[in-house]
Amino acid sequence: MGAIVLQVKNISKHFPGVLANDHINFDLRKGEIHTLLGENGAGKTTLMNILDGIYYPDEGEIYLNGKKVDIRSPFEATKNGIGMIHQHFMLVDTLTVLENVVLGLESQGFYLNKKKIAERIKEISQNYNLNINPYAKIWQLSVGEQQRVEIIKTLFRGAKILIMDEPTAVLTPQEADTLFKILRRMIKEDKSIIFISHKLDEVMKISDRITVLRKGKLVGTVDKKEIKQKELAKMMVGREVLFRLERNPMRRKGEVLKIEDLETHNDKGIKILRGINFSLPGGEIFGLAGVSGNGQTELAEVIVGLRRAIAGKVYIKGEEVTNLYPKAITKEGTNYIPPDRLKVGLVPNLSSVENAILRRYDREPISRGIFLNYEEAAKYTRELIKQFNIMVPRENAPVKFLSGGNLQKLILAREIREEPALLIAVHPSRGLDVGATEFVRKKLLEERDQGVAILLISEDLEELLMISDRIGVIYEGKIVGMVDIDDANINEIGLMMAGVHKNPLLKGEENVKV
Amino acid sequence: MLKFEKRENIPLHLRILIPLISILLGVLIGGIAVMFSQVNPLTVYKAIFIGAFGSTYVFSETIVVAIPLLLISVGLILVFKMNYWNIGAYGQYIMGAIFCTYFALNSAETMSRPILLMMMCIAGMVGGALWALIPAALKAYWKVNEVIATLLLNYIALYSLKFLMYGPWRNPRSFGFPLTKIFDLNAQLPKLISHTRIHLGLIFGIIAAIIIWIIIKKTKFGYEIRVIGENEIVARYAGINIAKNIILAMIISGGLAGLAGMAQISGIIHMLQIEINPDYGYTAIIVAWLSGLNALTAMIVSFFLGGLFAGASQIQITMKVPIGIVGLIESSILFFLLGGAILTNYKLYYKGRKII
Repeated sequence: MGAIVLQVKNISKHFPGVLANDHINFDLRKGEIHTLLGENGAGKTTLMNILDGIYYPDEGEIYLNGKKVDIRSPFEATKNGIGMIHQHFMLVDTLTVLENVVLGLESQGFYLNKKKIAERIKEISQNYNLNINPYAKIWQLSVGEQQRVEIIKTLFRGAKILIMDEPTAVLTPQEADTLFKILRRMIKEDKSIIFISHKLDEVMKISDRITVLRKGKLVGTVDKKEIKQKELAKMMVGREVLFRLERNPMRRKGEVLKIEDLETHNDKGIKILRGINFSLPGGEIFGLAGVSGNGQTELAEVIVGLRRAIAGKVYIKGEEVTNLYPKAITKEGTNYIPPDRLKVGLVPNLSSVENAILRRYDREPISRGIFLNYEEAAKYTRELIKQFNIMVPRENAPVKFLSGGNLQKLILAREIREEPALLIAVHPSRGLDVGATEFVRKKLLEERDQGVAILLISEDLEELLMISDRIGVIYEGKIVGMVDIDDANINEIGLMMAGVHKNPLLKGEENVKV
Repeated sequence: MLKFEKRENIPLHLRILIPLISILLGVLIGGIAVMFSQVNPLTVYKAIFIGAFGSTYVFSETIVVAIPLLLISVGLILVFKMNYWNIGAYGQYIMGAIFCTYFALNSAETMSRPILLMMMCIAGMVGGALWALIPAALKAYWKVNEVIATLLLNYIALYSLKFLMYGPWRNPRSFGFPLTKIFDLNAQLPKLISHTRIHLGLIFGIIAAIIIWIIIKKTKFGYEIRVIGENEIVARYAGINIAKNIILAMIISGGLAGLAGMAQISGIIHMLQIEINPDYGYTAIIVAWLSGLNALTAMIVSFFLGGLFAGASQIQITMKVPIGIVGLIESSILFFLLGGAILTNYKLYYKGRKII
């Protein structure tokens, strides 16, 4: 293995209330893929943002090829040969690949020599099998291709060290394999790659060495060849991990949700749902798999009334609720765990009490005439806190100071206490640590056993396979496949997520039009 | 290396100390400017202080200025909480004055004093509320930006007033000046304290502040307003009717600005003219902001700013300093007060060490 190209010594960084990095040491060799492993909130992204110059460390030093460097902006990181590919791509949709590549480049003068740049892009593209047309517009490209444009951007700028922040989160299993091939090709060319992930199986597949972080602290660096997946899991979580959850046999009840030929636009006014059909009985968890951006979050928004349907119908317990106000739909017994906790689920600057009563502030005993009874509100909140074991240091402090897990528990508690007939959960465990994830999943299973119909939308196949009773796959606004959990096969689901393999023989009564 | 970090809660001593230090700094900078006009800044400040608080009479003048500031600012606090930026109190104030003048001119002989004054109060509030309803409805139903809408309506209100004063409502016996006749005693708000100009409007202001405080802190309406202001998406998700809340809050906000306009002409000016001090509508924005959008704090802030303006107008007369200098002192104090507010909300670090 090659010489050490990058060394991080004693890096610390703190944010209000958290020590995101606590004296971290880390090194990277030439031609290796070094994985940074840790749960959400372990401090992986913070550390990488420090290397990319987005954050400046409170303490510690960074050495490049043995020389101390001071990186104060992404621009300086680029000059030092460090390129980062973020979870959310930094691309301008309406521009071409070429225009995105030159965007912000200092060396370009007033006049762009497009031909020369296009040739260079093609050269890079061929060298690493990236297969990208420099004149394609970004919005025409798939997510996997957009990621490759990001790779071209960093290589074009001469990066020798590539940081990839959870690159597989937006990819199907097959696209991830393609990415891994590209990464292997790159290390052959003496590039070094820092790969950030919390998915153990892919970490075992791709890494040379693995550094584990936990709650901002360094747990250790290990050689892939010398460690087993289970031990790695223990390092990451700090305790034994349950890979399975106990589930009771399913007891289906009458139909709760029925969707017919549903269509809607996304925020850009482009049709994103193109005729969705399915029905969901009580007592079942229906998992909807799909790569993000295929219409799944919009589907949830239409059902709860936050987005208008342009065609089709939504029925809850036989009553049509299409395009009713959110409040009317909630009254029909629908509750919603939104994908973005602090943007849709909670009001960050209001207190736990004020957030807990969001669903029932206009009902007795919390409301009394035009007034709110804050004593009753606080009492109710304490009940939720106790029942769901939420850690709330001060119930009148803004909720934005709570951790992700506690925020999600608060939303879950608030929504479940409404005793819904239908619960729609979108990415319910995203960004949560293992303990909170387990809690959320167990609660969903409990609700299912109580006879609640649950629509679970998730990008985490593992989660879907763990708790769903039936899995549907959404691709380009249509449900392209549906399997019972006993027949589910991760490869087949992966192919359907990529739109490659369609399964028109959907189970009996669903009668899905593909 | 300076670094700011949001505070989790604001300690009481900072709530008091930071504004005090800010005022001192503003006074210092304002003082340097005063020195350039060959006047001793200490004498100027002494004169301002005496002009604001130095005798019963000037003290009462401070309160006279504080009345409209308080009435308008507590209304603004309600809509600002909702993240709705009503810049139109200026126009709503003018409309309140115009509407109540109709009754003062036409019903003074036919109504008894309490009835007439009540009608004028209601007319003032209705005038302001109607003027506020226009941008509120535009925002609620067509998402028209309220800053532009309220601001432009100010000009329409001002020119409507000018039209009335140069046209139908000009008193034929005012030698061509754009004035109405002086209101009958029946149409004048009673004085609260004799030998001063403090009028019943003070009571209106205090009641308004308490009611707004209760609305925001204790009612469902106030809760909905805070949720909308902090996060409109959550409000929609919780099924809060945003359009209804915008309209209702703006009716209250405009109504209070209209009442301020009514109180000013019925309690102080005693006639309608072109110069009726609608600028209070802008100053009240600063009051609302300095009071941290708390209606009870707004009482103290209105009083303080009232003192600043009353005192400053005194030195114009007594010290014979240019009017520009007076404005400069006022604005440098306000500038530091608003700037200092960042330190109440954020911690400041220098080279990793906490300073404040």
